[in-house]
Amino acid sequence: MSDCIRLEYDVDGDNFSSAGHASESVKRTLKQMGVSAASVRRVAIAMYEGEINMVIHAHGGKAIAEIYPERIDITLQDSGPGIADIDLAMKAGYSTASENIRSLGFGAGMGLPNMKKYSDEMKIDSTVGVGTTVYLKIGF
Amino acid sequence: MNVREFAQKAGYAVFSEGEDREIESGYCGDFLSNIISRAPDSCAWLTVMNNVNVAAVATLIDCACIILCEGVAPDDALAARAKMQSVWLLGAKGNVYEEAKRVAALCGV
Ligand SMILES: Nc1ncnc2c1ncn2[C@@H]1O[C@H](COP(=O)(O)OP(=O)(O)OP(=O)(O)O)[C@@H](O)[C@H]1O
Ligand SMILES: [Mg+2]
Repeated sequence: MSDCIRLEYDVDGDNFSSAGHASESVKRTLKQMGVSAASVRRVAIAMYEGEINMVIHAHGGKAIAEIYPERIDITLQDSGPGIADIDLAMKAGYSTASENIRSLGFGAGMGLPNMKKYSDEMKIDSTVGVGTTVYLKIGF
Repeated sequence: MNVREFAQKAGYAVFSEGEDREIESGYCGDFLSNIISRAPDSCAWLTVMNNVNVAAVATLIDCACIILCEGVAPDDALAARAKMQSVWLLGAKGNVYEEAKRVAALCGV
């Protein structure tokens, strides 16, 4: 654990204007550590999508980043409504976003597929009525 | 062509400035997750979407500039975030198709 930098963020569920701050902060940290631009971009995108999902689908949650010399582990944890059918949610184009959310530019149903595309490992634990936790591992 | 020269030649409003870099391609879209996965690096991103998340996405995709089309003016939150993140945020009068043609003609992309 000692060679790991651990960053933790509260992701505010009612504030669209602060959404993205956790991923931006991680992005800055990785850049300062000299991680390659391509890797920083993958991490920033995957984490941003996860952060936004917690804001628009789950009233916010917690984002935890654990940075090792050669990889990052990201945990996105919420106490939202949960996902009933994870395979369906992972399908490109599937979205339950409301009209209101779509008018903000979200709801293409591409967030989870993007997270999968830009990570090396992705796992979703979800229980309806309890919440969702998404785990991402991204190598540098 | 670099963003500053392009904005001037196109007669665009400049709401926020960033690094003066070359426009290498273009991308049109309003759904942020599509843009994230498909927009090429250093593109001019043309959109009618007007909210703070546009600036966040622009930094993620590392575009050369954002072009808000159809006379859309950024809301205060977007303008502030774009300035904070040093992202070029430009305003154009025409629709996305017309402005994409302008980018193509002026920048040769
Ligand atoms: N943290 C979450 N809690 C509850 N449901 C979620 C969560 N994340 C995703 N979902 C569900 O999975 C669906 C697909 O998610 P995905 O991120 O792919 O698309 P989206 O968020 O609807 O649109 P986009 O990401 O393209 O803006 C969502 O519409 C929602 O029903
Ligand atoms: Mg999403």
